[in-house]
Amino acid sequence: MAFWPKIRTGSRERVCNPDAVPYAVFENVGLTIGARKVLHGLTLSLSEDRVGVIGLNGSGKSTFVRLLNGLRSPTDGKLTLFGAPSAEAEKELPRHVGFVFQNPDHQAIFPTVEEEIAFGLTQLGADKTASREQARRFLSDHGFGALASSPFAELSEGQKQYVCILAVLVMQPRLLVLDEPMTSLDGLSGRKIREKLMSLPQKIVMISHDLSHFEDFDRVLWLEDGRLRMDGPAAEVLAAYEADIDRRLGAGMEVAAL
Amino acid sequence: MISMYLQGDSWAHRLPAGLKLLAVALGSLILFHVSSVWIFTGCLVAVVALYATLGREGLAQLRLLRGIVFFVVALLAIHWLSGSLDEGVVVAMRLVVMVLAANFVTITTRLDDMLDAVLPLFAPLKLFGVSPRTPALGVTLVLRFAPHLMLVFSRLREAWQARTARRSSWRLLAPFAIQSLRMSDNVAEALKARGGSAGLSSSP
Repeated sequence: MAFWPKIRTGSRERVCNPDAVPYAVFENVGLTIGARKVLHGLTLSLSEDRVGVIGLNGSGKSTFVRLLNGLRSPTDGKLTLFGAPSAEAEKELPRHVGFVFQNPDHQAIFPTVEEEIAFGLTQLGADKTASREQARRFLSDHGFGALASSPFAELSEGQKQYVCILAVLVMQPRLLVLDEPMTSLDGLSGRKIREKLMSLPQKIVMISHDLSHFEDFDRVLWLEDGRLRMDGPAAEVLAAYEADIDRRLGAGMEVAAL
Repeated sequence: MISMYLQGDSWAHRLPAGLKLLAVALGSLILFHVSSVWIFTGCLVAVVALYATLGREGLAQLRLLRGIVFFVVALLAIHWLSGSLDEGVVVAMRLVVMVLAANFVTITTRLDDMLDAVLPLFAPLKLFGVSPRTPALGVTLVLRFAPHLMLVFSRLREAWQARTARRSSWRLLAPFAIQSLRMSDNVAEALKARGGSAGLSSSP
C-alpha cells in the first residue's frame, strides 16, 4: 500500500504465518514464575475474531495474554503462535501481535503524540522523515491530527489510551491483545474506545472486569487459579461467571479473600 | 505530569539537535576553564535571554532552578565553611548556567531528534554486537520518564502528608525506589511488546 513507508524486512527467514488459523494453539501449557505455578495445563486453540478473558484478580489472565506476544514463555507444554512454536516465533511476534497495557503512562515511550506513533514505524525499519510524515497522516485519519504535537502527558486518560491503541495499530498487527485497557477510563471514554476496538479488522483478545464489554464477543475464557474454568460463547460464560460471583458473596466471602 | 519538551516552532526548535548538543558540550568545556564572576554573570544573562526568546512559556521553564536550589546552597555553604566563598560563587554560577543551557536543549528538541543525534556516539558498540540504538533509546527514556518519577514522588509525599501532616520524610525513599523499579519493569515490557530497543528491522 502506497500509504505506508517502505519497510526493511531483514534477511532471515520468517517462521510465523500471519494468516494462520488458529492463530494460537495451547497444548497442556503451564507457566511457573519463581516457585509459583501461575498457569496449569491449558489446552485450547484461538481462531475467533473477538475473544474475552475474565477471572478474579490473580487468576492468571495477564500472564495468559502475555504468552500471546512472547512477553512470557511457557515453562510446560507446547504453544504454537501463528503456526510456529512460541520459542521460535518470539522475535517476530511484535510484528503480528499488538499489545495494549492497562496504564498508558507506562506504555508511551516518547513525550509527544506524533513521536509515539512514529516510533512504531521506525521499529519496523522506516526512516525518521517517512515515519513522521506517515504518523501525521495516520493521526489525521483517526481524528487526532490536531493533537499530533501535543505532549502525551497533557492528554486526558481516554486520549492517552486511544493514542496507545493507535501506536500499536500503526504497526498493522494481525492480533490485538489488550490487558484491561478501560480500567482507568470514565464510562464515556471506555465506551468510545470499545466502539473503536469493535470496528477494527484485527482479531482481538481482551481482558476486562467490566463484563458488558464482552456482550457481542465470539468467545469468552474464564480463568480461575491459572486454570481454564469455562470456555464458550460469551452469553453462557458471562452468566456462569456472574452466578459464581453471586454464590461467593452469598456464602459470606471474607474481606481478606478479595 | 509535566513534560520536558516545550511545544513550538521557534528558532531554537528548528536548530539541528546535534548542533545544540555540541554547543552545550563545548560551552561546558570552556566554562570549566573560566573563573571570572563577571563572565559567568554575562553567561547567565545570555542563557536567560535564550529562554526569553521562547516567550512567556519559555521563561516559565526557569522554575527548574527550584530543583537545584538545595545543591547551590549546599555548595555555597561548603565553600564558605572552607573559607573560599568566592570560589563557591563561581562553582554555583557554573552549575546554574550549565543546567539552564542543557535544559534549554531538552525543551526545544524532540526526543526522536535527540535519539538520532546521540546514536552516532554509540556506533562503536556495533563492533561488540550491541545495537547502538539500545543505549541511545536509554538516554531518551531517561528524559521521558524523569518528570514521571517526580510525579510518583509527589504522590507518595501527598499520601504521607495525608496521614502524618508532615511534608516529607526519608522513609519515602524505599517505596519510591520500589515504585520506580516496578515502573521500569512495565516500561521495559511495553518496549519489548513493540519490538525491543533494537527494533524489528533486523529481526525476520
